[in-house]
Amino acid sequence: MASILFVMLKSPHENVNLELASDLGGQSKKAAILFEDAVYYAMDKKASKHLAEHVDEVFVISDDLAARGFDCDVGGKFKTVDYGQAVDLIMQYDRTVTL
Amino acid sequence: MKRTLLIHLRSGSMMNMDSNLVVKLAKAALDKGHNVRIFGYGEGITPIKEGQEPKRFPNVGKELTELAERGATIVVCETCCAARGIHRGEEVKGSKIGSLTNDLSKFVSEADRIVTIAR
Repeated sequence: MASILFVMLKSPHENVNLELASDLGGQSKKAAILFEDAVYYAMDKKASKHLAEHVDEVFVISDDLAARGFDCDVGGKFKTVDYGQAVDLIMQYDRTVTL
Repeated sequence: MKRTLLIHLRSGSMMNMDSNLVVKLAKAALDKGHNVRIFGYGEGITPIKEGQEPKRFPNVGKELTELAERGATIVVCETCCAARGIHRGEEVKGSKIGSLTNDLSKFVSEADRIVTIAR
């Protein structure tokens, strides 16, 4: 099964078209990896629910969460990772698309 | 297994933390034994301009030189540099002012994975 890792940098309060993840991803296995202000998706109930509708898994960079004053307590489809694990995910998924 | 990661940067070094993210991702990939190539264009060329001295945040140019010393290949687009008044010889050590045609096309064809860091 094909797989796509969506790279996200922008906060949920900026203009991010999450529907693209479903449109581009189709039946592929889909995950998102959240860097920089995109980590706010993990902390905003409405935004995290919306994102979880479009991807199967969400990886959150723990450094970027901590830099913004959040501890690493994420749940459900969300999982914290470090930069080394981010590289492994990039290599594991067939390709990346930046939203 | 050693693979080749191409990181494609299009954000300026003072706009947001994208170029810092690129440095952290490149370091992590080098730590894992992968080949790393970074190509910048548009505002993504700005980190390579030598002589920059940011006071309260990381000096990405210096960090790129350190990545190059560890084997990363760092190239930026000459057209985008010229548009911003930056010419060959003004890039930080270890980086190169190159071109989309010669360098990026080669990097794309040889990369196992490509990550674009852009807004």
